[in-house]
Amino acid sequence: MYPADLLKSLELVHSTRERRMAESLLRLEEQQRNELLKTYHPDYKDAAFRNLRVGANKGDRVTHEFADLLESFSDLDHARINLQPEFTTDVLVLGGGGAGVTAALFAESLGARVLLATKLRLGNSNTIMALGGMQASVAEEDSPLRHFADTMIAGNFAGSASLVKALVEDGPHIVKWLLDIGVNFDRNVLGNLATKKAGGLSAPRILSIGDHTGLNIMKVLKDEMRKSSRIELLEFTPAVELTTDADGACNGAILYDLGRRRHLAIQAKAVILATGGAGRLHNQGFPTSNNFGATGDAVVLAYRAGAGIEGMDSFQYHPTGVMFPDHMVGVLVTEAIRSLGAHLVNGNGERFVNELETRDLVAAAIIREVEGGRGVRTPSGKIGVWLDIPVLEELLEKGMLKKRFPSLFKQFRRVKIDITKRPLLIYPTLHYQNGGILIDERGESTVSNLFVAGEAAGGIHGRNRAMGNSLLDIFVFGRRAGLASAERRFAVPGSLSLNHVTRYYDRLKSLRISSVAKSPTLFPEFIVDKL
Amino acid sequence: MLTIELEGRKIKVPEGLTVIEALWDTGHDVKRGIGCLSGLCGACTVAYLEAGAQRVKFGLGCQTVVAEGMNVIMLPYFPSRMARYDMESMTSPLQELADHYPELATCNDCKACNICPEWIDVAGFVKTSREGGYESTAEKVMGCHMCGLCASRCPKSIAPQYVGLYIQRSCARQRPIPPNLAKRLEQMAVLAEDSEFAQVAALNQAELEVYCRKILDS
Repeated sequence: MYPADLLKSLELVHSTRERRMAESLLRLEEQQRNELLKTYHPDYKDAAFRNLRVGANKGDRVTHEFADLLESFSDLDHARINLQPEFTTDVLVLGGGGAGVTAALFAESLGARVLLATKLRLGNSNTIMALGGMQASVAEEDSPLRHFADTMIAGNFAGSASLVKALVEDGPHIVKWLLDIGVNFDRNVLGNLATKKAGGLSAPRILSIGDHTGLNIMKVLKDEMRKSSRIELLEFTPAVELTTDADGACNGAILYDLGRRRHLAIQAKAVILATGGAGRLHNQGFPTSNNFGATGDAVVLAYRAGAGIEGMDSFQYHPTGVMFPDHMVGVLVTEAIRSLGAHLVNGNGERFVNELETRDLVAAAIIREVEGGRGVRTPSGKIGVWLDIPVLEELLEKGMLKKRFPSLFKQFRRVKIDITKRPLLIYPTLHYQNGGILIDERGESTVSNLFVAGEAAGGIHGRNRAMGNSLLDIFVFGRRAGLASAERRFAVPGSLSLNHVTRYYDRLKSLRISSVAKSPTLFPEFIVDKL
Repeated sequence: MLTIELEGRKIKVPEGLTVIEALWDTGHDVKRGIGCLSGLCGACTVAYLEAGAQRVKFGLGCQTVVAEGMNVIMLPYFPSRMARYDMESMTSPLQELADHYPELATCNDCKACNICPEWIDVAGFVKTSREGGYESTAEKVMGCHMCGLCASRCPKSIAPQYVGLYIQRSCARQRPIPPNLAKRLEQMAVLAEDSEFAQVAALNQAELEVYCRKILDS
């Protein structure tokens, strides 16, 4: 329930609704777009970045949060750890979200033995939280080429054309695979897959399962994982370091058993890093929509092993993160709400950006309003703007919100806010790591036998990811990494070493870097700010 | 400050914390049972008794704000039997439901399972499952995040969440392939666009921009 002063601001939202419904806001011209991003988007705030002093991407601009992790030491006593492997497997998958499970399933399908280790419970990941949907060009008026063009343009042409080609061409095949294993994408009356539009898309291309798309896919994937005895699972066992052979190729990892509080070495013929992104690093103090485990471990581990990275100065701030009530700050409101025509309204009751602009532009516009003093303040001092969701019931039909957004409806029913009647206070929330570890079309990094899939991988989304491309990305590159890594199962992995870590530390020491940060982070430090 | 009973221990915590924040604040290093922190994944289920109340309630630890006199524990897992099967090898999985989950037939509709933190009508979908109303079951379990609280209440040890998932998958597999997808896959099989993509590979950055904008204008 909203407190009195927010209710007062809400009155303005309600009273201006009719007027706003008659308005149509122009899309921004190229120059306006550039200006808006440069002035307000967090990626352009120079003070938040610095250049890396070590490693394969020495000199590259990255966020302070990542530079701190990459220029630091680990808790692991690398000189004393027992490197005798406790397990040997063909393919070691690190990460139990959509990318990891997909990789495991496809590696297994070629006959590889798979060990999947994950920090939390299997499936606890950002995949489960993917609300709005997945892109795939299945509509009549659409094509993989259109999907290609939209993705390249959304990413400001910073994405790799060959990776984007892989993404869009595999799209329809991935949909077929998901249907085959029992995923129930929404259909229309003709039995066609229902497709929706989204910001920056030139054709309706979003497939969804209500507003809990990722959850319903992940449930099926987890169930599917249990069918084979060739896949072994280690939960609550995060990876803390990769291992390499004498030539520097990856041949396993050091895991940490959270329950037993001890390390264990795993030897594998190929390793797939699929541990997701880094929202819980809270860049520049932003709230995040990410799950508890999203602490950027993949980039840290791969970088120490010598892998090249890309675009680690580009993050997606999803425009609509919850700002009230306090315990829900950062929680995502799906973009589907804006795609359908919900208004963004500032403290003066005005719309201030065409809501169908790409995510980076809408986020920048919201920050502009708040910094310009046109935001709305909560009792605890947080500031946001209104997302007028109830307007959808008037624009479309009464009762549609409960029917099409059951998950969102329930999330707010718990805190006694009825989204069919009340707008939500929102502000950009750290959502996605646009860059990551460089991969080729098979999913392999610049380190031999080290594959990467999902949010941890870079080069696909350029400087801004379009809605629905991450859910597709995890299956496309999870599958590719799984298949390619399984082909390495006849190789003989050399003995495990952490020589790459020693070399990396030597370089840090020679630069007089003696950081107090420990990486990988594994779990965020929680400072409850209400105390 | 509020006084609550947390994991069986009487303790003072600041106002406004969720159960999980209260656990962290009081030195419980909780990792198991923490997931999305957004009320979506079902990892952090809790059981609690409100001050003066008689009935135990259930909820999600990341979305339940503690109140004066609350008595709360985490209940992140409950052992329930889960069938093992390879769905792709079955021709009509719905007919095999009773083989995989025979206990479903023992349900006497006591409705004890209706404690879902997502307000799913669990007893309702268990009933439709028993009676063969599979599509209706599949519809009802869409919001299920498999927390398993319902199974913890069942005197017959039925695991409604797993039964629901089995039916959801079976129904989805029975549907014919969507015509629009079939058509796209057919088009792609003749490789018309592959030569287009070969062109794309040869373009430099500026040409690529022009090319992409041209596609969208067509």
